[in-house]
Amino acid sequence: MASSPFRGPVRLVALWKKELLALVRDRHGLAALFVMPAVFILVMSLALAEPFSTRQPAAIGYAVLDLDSTPVSQALDEQLGAADFFEKRERPPGEADARRRVEAGEAAFVLIIPRGFASQIGSNRTPSLRFLIDPAVPNTLREGFRQQVEAAVIKVWLAHVLERLGQNLMIPELRRVTERVGPPEIHTEAVGRADGEVFAPPSSVQQSVPAWLIFSMFFVVIPISAVFVGERQRGTLQRLATQKVSFSLVLAGKFVPFVLLNQAQAVIMIAIGRWLVPLCGGEAFSLPDGAQALAALWLLSIAVSAAAVGWALFIASLARSSEQASILGGAGNIIMGAIGGIMVPRFVMPAAMQPWTRLSPMDWALDGVHHVMLRHGGIVDILPAAAALACFGFFALAAAVFLGRRVRC
Amino acid sequence: MIRIDRIHYRYRAAPQPALDGISFDIGRGSVYGLLGPNGAGKTTLISVLAGLLAPQDGGVAVDGEPLAAWRASRPTAIAAVPQDYAFYPMLTVAENLDFFAGVQGLSRRQRRDRCAAAMAFACLEAVAGRRAASLSGGLRRRLNMAIGLTGAPEVLLLDEPTVGVDPQSRRFMLDAVKRFAADGGTVLYTSHYMEEVEAVCSGVAIIDHGKVLAAGPLEELKRGGAPTLNLGFARPLPEALVANWRARFPDMGVRDNAVDFPRFPADGLAPLLAELAAAGLAVERAEYGAPNLEQFFMQLTHHSLRD
Repeated sequence: MASSPFRGPVRLVALWKKELLALVRDRHGLAALFVMPAVFILVMSLALAEPFSTRQPAAIGYAVLDLDSTPVSQALDEQLGAADFFEKRERPPGEADARRRVEAGEAAFVLIIPRGFASQIGSNRTPSLRFLIDPAVPNTLREGFRQQVEAAVIKVWLAHVLERLGQNLMIPELRRVTERVGPPEIHTEAVGRADGEVFAPPSSVQQSVPAWLIFSMFFVVIPISAVFVGERQRGTLQRLATQKVSFSLVLAGKFVPFVLLNQAQAVIMIAIGRWLVPLCGGEAFSLPDGAQALAALWLLSIAVSAAAVGWALFIASLARSSEQASILGGAGNIIMGAIGGIMVPRFVMPAAMQPWTRLSPMDWALDGVHHVMLRHGGIVDILPAAAALACFGFFALAAAVFLGRRVRC
Repeated sequence: MIRIDRIHYRYRAAPQPALDGISFDIGRGSVYGLLGPNGAGKTTLISVLAGLLAPQDGGVAVDGEPLAAWRASRPTAIAAVPQDYAFYPMLTVAENLDFFAGVQGLSRRQRRDRCAAAMAFACLEAVAGRRAASLSGGLRRRLNMAIGLTGAPEVLLLDEPTVGVDPQSRRFMLDAVKRFAADGGTVLYTSHYMEEVEAVCSGVAIIDHGKVLAAGPLEELKRGGAPTLNLGFARPLPEALVANWRARFPDMGVRDNAVDFPRFPADGLAPLLAELAAAGLAVERAEYGAPNLEQFFMQLTHHSLRD
């Protein structure tokens, strides 16, 4: 029989074409790969914009109940307002009303300045203050408010001390020192690998686009297993075997289209972060400058694809039905995302839990992306992560080949 | 053309071999039936012929050449058409044919020609652009077979190709099989529909428990079968009488109000009819003579259920 001299490539192209046709007609699989991460990126970028911002969290308000009503207590109230971090709300007429406002969520904190506050300051005794707090407010914000109050009290106390000192020393200008000296100017810069350059801290979109992109790339398990399990159940794999299409060739026929699909995902999700998120009121996602950084990201993206597609083929080979594959693959991805710092950033986790993140390939991928995106590293910096991901993909693929041969024997 | 010679195959951890010294010959241009109860070894034998399994002993030769060597020079010369709809429901008929032609390494022109020929053979041109998922059972069967023809095979291994189709589609499939053989193709045809096998096959091998029970030209086999007596009654037989007969004729089969006596001796006819008259049972229908294929099959494989 006269077959093509390019028999091998022709067979592979036929497998790729079939896989792409099957993929574009799998609406559920496409939704899992494109719609889900797009929604995640949009929602998380906007929802987390405030925690990642250095500006004041507008939604966190406070009120002051001044029971002392002295110039000193008023000065404390003014100092607190000058900090301009939390939003000042209307003064409550009494403690009962203050409690009601906190319960109703109108104010996260109420500072109660008790009677005698001014005399405590005047007699150099430790002043006592009271907070009413909303228990739903995170500890970090409570602590932030407490520190602001402490700073304001110290400033009021310092003004008092300087005034008295000025009176004793006959230097009334000392009183105005505290008025002239404002809060220190602190310039924040992210520490990166590029020498001498100063970088702005990352925004929420810089954090969420890579995280949810990595997460979604692993969801190739849904379309891969849908086709693969169907092929096995319908006897198509057996039929291909009778046509001397080896199982390794079948897997190769799936590997390349899905790696390409992952790359398309990466481009689309980055475009969403760059153009759609700003349209919805968030900050625009920006890629690092320089060819080396872009090459590092592309290399990492290929490594993530290798890991994700290898993992998907392993799950598809293991599962007996598409339902089983969806559960195994979906749950596996969610667990990898949970422990891998996708859903909860690693630095937020307790110290005892942080080493466990290293078990997840998603953590390796995220670590690599952070090296490029946030620490402005290059190809050398992402090589360990890329190598780990490639090895994971290779071993998963080897396991898939082993399982596939066992099933077909 | 195909010589199956003392093939032995045993699955790992299986107590009995699936194929235990199977031997028979299939002539070129013939449709050869492979019959056997469930678990007899038919699928294993087809897997061996399709190259999925390598026999642990014995071998298969095609035109005097070992199967593997023969296939190496003709990669698409044997096509297996499974019982399942082994194609892609999300692809159209034309896309399915093009894909299966493509994985056989055919050039673009060969693919176009072969797909057109296979589509014409199975009369699928009108549904070329339809997704396979939307086809009726009969059209799916035809597509399943057409895919097997994309490589222009010399040998077609058909595993129950007419399961679940309407009489018109069945007739079409049987005619297609005959046309394929008339054009010089060789077919190994497995089916549980005996009348189909009688209609299209010139030779038959009946296997059970991995062994060949009978093999050869169909008419010769049927002539060689022991005469069978088949009686039909207007009402069910008394249980006592059935029990009595079972003790005397262990191979006897009872279905509804009919009874089959395989290997029934001619000199036993008169006493049996006298026994029925004494019991007051009127015979509605009586047949005696050479068995048809189903009766012959039942004689060889016995009546007991297999799964």
